[in-house]
Amino acid sequence: MSEKIGIYVCECGPNIASKVDIEKIKQEISNLEDFKDVELVVKNHKLLCSVAGKKYLENEINENNLTHLVCAACSPRDHDTTFINVCKKTQLNPYLYQLVNIREHCAWIIHDKEEATAKAIRMIHAGMDRVLYQQPLEEKQLDSNPDVLIIGGGIAGMEAALKLASKDRMVFLIEKTDKLGGKSAKLKELLPRQGVNLNILHQKISDVQSNKHIKVFTNTELASIVGFLGNFEIVIKAVNNPNNTTDLLAGAVVVATGFELKGAASLDSYNITDTDEIYNALEIEEMLSQHGTITRRNGEEPKKVALIHCVGRSEVGYCSKICCNYLLKIAKMLKDQSAKIEVTEFFKDLCLPNKHDEDFYEQVKTRGIDFIRFKNMTVDGTNVKFTDISDAKKQLDVDMIIVGTAMIPADGAKELAELLKIDQHETGFYQEAHLKINPVSTNTDGVFVVGGAHGPAGISESMLQAQAAAGKIFTQLIPGQKIIPEVKVSEILEAYCTGCKTCLDVCGYGAIYFDEDKGISVVNEAICRGCGNCVGSCPSGSIRTRHFTNPQLYQEVKEALR
Amino acid sequence: MSRSDHVLIIGSGVAGMEACLMLSKAGKKVTLVEKLSLIGGKTIKNEETFPNMDCSTCLVAPIQQEILQDSSINVLTLSSVEEVKGDAGNFTVAINKKARYVDMIACLGCGMCYPPCPVELINEWEENLTTKKAVYVPCAGALPNVPVIDAEKCLHLNGTDLECNKCMEACMFGAINLTEKDEKLELNVGAILIATGYDMLDICAIKDLGYGQYPGVYTAMEFERLFASNGPTEGKLVMRDGETIPTSVAIIHCVGRTQTHYCSAVCCMASSKHAHFLHHKLSDAQIYNIYSDICLPDKTYQKFHEDVKAHSSQFIYQSDRDKMKITEENGKLKVGYLDNNNKDTSIQVDMVILANALKPAVGSDELEKVLGINHDKFGFVEAQPFRIGSVTTSKPGIFVAGCAEGPKDIQSSVIQSEAAVAEILSLLNS
Repeated sequence: MSEKIGIYVCECGPNIASKVDIEKIKQEISNLEDFKDVELVVKNHKLLCSVAGKKYLENEINENNLTHLVCAACSPRDHDTTFINVCKKTQLNPYLYQLVNIREHCAWIIHDKEEATAKAIRMIHAGMDRVLYQQPLEEKQLDSNPDVLIIGGGIAGMEAALKLASKDRMVFLIEKTDKLGGKSAKLKELLPRQGVNLNILHQKISDVQSNKHIKVFTNTELASIVGFLGNFEIVIKAVNNPNNTTDLLAGAVVVATGFELKGAASLDSYNITDTDEIYNALEIEEMLSQHGTITRRNGEEPKKVALIHCVGRSEVGYCSKICCNYLLKIAKMLKDQSAKIEVTEFFKDLCLPNKHDEDFYEQVKTRGIDFIRFKNMTVDGTNVKFTDISDAKKQLDVDMIIVGTAMIPADGAKELAELLKIDQHETGFYQEAHLKINPVSTNTDGVFVVGGAHGPAGISESMLQAQAAAGKIFTQLIPGQKIIPEVKVSEILEAYCTGCKTCLDVCGYGAIYFDEDKGISVVNEAICRGCGNCVGSCPSGSIRTRHFTNPQLYQEVKEALR
Repeated sequence: MSRSDHVLIIGSGVAGMEACLMLSKAGKKVTLVEKLSLIGGKTIKNEETFPNMDCSTCLVAPIQQEILQDSSINVLTLSSVEEVKGDAGNFTVAINKKARYVDMIACLGCGMCYPPCPVELINEWEENLTTKKAVYVPCAGALPNVPVIDAEKCLHLNGTDLECNKCMEACMFGAINLTEKDEKLELNVGAILIATGYDMLDICAIKDLGYGQYPGVYTAMEFERLFASNGPTEGKLVMRDGETIPTSVAIIHCVGRTQTHYCSAVCCMASSKHAHFLHHKLSDAQIYNIYSDICLPDKTYQKFHEDVKAHSSQFIYQSDRDKMKITEENGKLKVGYLDNNNKDTSIQVDMVILANALKPAVGSDELEKVLGINHDKFGFVEAQPFRIGSVTTSKPGIFVAGCAEGPKDIQSSVIQSEAAVAEILSLLNS
């Protein structure tokens, strides 16, 4: 079939029409020397994006049997999708259409009408050159598996499991320890602002266990995973016997592997030498849960307790966000146990970012607790030497120290990141796809990260993040719905690939794998996002991204720069 | 009675917008109600967002565009919810949609109608720092890019001069329709999401801070607009006279915290960002941040804050935030505070930025009444029955996300929004 290009110039009302000479554009484009053998339809319209304009364009494509389409109008940000949708209603493959932006690039920025017109002509000419080199691309539809793998059986993992499990969606929950519940199951009580007692958390454990759409694997961890959103092939293994494996299929993965508390023995900035009577908050909670009272190692009730905030914060480089609140809670629990216990809170800044936190702080303050804002501190045994905010050097002898140590990524966070091909933030926690606007997704589609694995988070936040991941999965993995992967993806020309593996390192999505048999790199088209990183990095020039091939770009640039 | 597959979202900030797009992707019909003439919420008032200094428009504009082009999402600007009846799965909602007087389809946003308008008004969206015409868009880049006519101030519409048709004459698309009337709409929806956001605490009442008295004293939001490249000064950092460049600036944290009785969670980072902005644009300026507690609740925040502390601003601790007093002395602002030894101290600066508290959005009490849901003692929507990890309100079928529930940053708002989508889809698909 011979080529027939339709070129439609949008006037955009006065926006384009008053700043460029539409008639001159039409005349020059119709008579281009290098297109004299190609059939051209060159027309203008008052407003192509309007309902009437779209109908007009649709009729024009059909009636003229256009093989290619160039729209000279506005920014692709505004109306690329509009015209692609018009093409989809016709026989014309939308990848044989090109939008040339003569509004933002010409009409709106060049005052001289003649110059603006000349540039518009050059750009349209470039678009025509490019469009002839474009190739039709077809969208694929892939079946998807709605089931979900959840890694980690703490509060975040359980919350995600309970939200996701339904008759249309199976959840596989793997937990590396022998029981569900994670750290929150060790707590004695919650903050008053959380408005509930711990029973609802314990209730979740039995809800998960009794849910027939949730299959729990304890003492289990991830062995390997390959695939993409909608189709992951997963192998899990027993923690104590790596040869004992199970194969699973799932469409998405929720990482809820939690956090660890930095140990009390490594508190460099406070020069803590002896940790005999030093406890972290979880130890206190466990002590309370098991024995009902807070005692020293010799079983006696402490008389003077120092609660130290922000321990390890300067080393890790971030605020752990929940420690101020739980140390206030422990101060309250000590006073609940015995009003005689003298309690001192050593802090630098109080971080109380929830609307109900200030109330709690005011309430704890009335219990006769000393609050000391300090600058520096050395802890020798249970002797606390410190410089307070007014630069006075002081010391306090206590018989028990409770520290709010930094929350750090769980053991094995790095290995898991490598298995899942997700990024770690410089703090070691997993990196979200976008900190602000895509906070529970990761750079790998179909893999979500929630709770302490995502960064310091309390119970409430961890639950919300788990629900957020469930929301994302509900919208991305609808039972029975096909998945349409990106069409403009990279492809590697087998004959030219030298097997140097450079592209494997630059791919941010883990979309390229190495075929050992053939000795070449291969793109997994379902994962590739078409960013083009690999194209630029390939020393042998064997990679191209569809719709952005070198000849296509060359044709466009050549004419634009003429 | 059958269940409606349609969702009503009230408020078009980041929380409302995220829910809109997700629900549409999940095959639901969505109606987005926004009281202003533009969507995007408070995020678009910021030039850049902390801590990565992402350009806000670049973050939000693609989302706004996607919403406006999505045929499953009906965007009702200039609208408010008047009445809600019914129960989860089946609410009947009455909406009042104010006339825009400009046809959303015919208008291209070319802006030809503003210059001929004879009425000049204060632009509240720009924190009163500039003016607008009676036919206006609040700022350059507003989406939808369609002006609105202020019916009370337009000479034609308020009856002062029925002959004035200047905007109509200037419009080449016949988009201006001065006979448009307010509309009452009725919708049947299965679920409702409240994402009405926040407003800033009015600090005129805190007399010691001199806001409204001394022109050199600014609120945080005023400063955001001053810094914005689409703002009243196109990003030029000048004082209210339009030319004086400040040589010293004090940024005061925790303003109004005593009055609101909660920490607003975002101001320490916003104030660090403001110091960063100032240092970036006015490298010789002396910048101070006066704080009482620094609150940096995200893994990424402390690094940014420390960088600002090292390079941009001197952080000064004040021992009692209620003892701050701002006065004028020899043409400078004198910022008096109690230092780390509880001693009266002061610094002199050209400009003061008050990081004022976030409070429930104006009109949230009426909305809470209309919806029949509980709020906390501050006026924020209270998540129930468990305050822990929940986005459900006291009324089944009505959910809450973002700052309508309490002060929070963008990512926490988005997380709640995505969580609310999970709840809504669970409800509607069950």
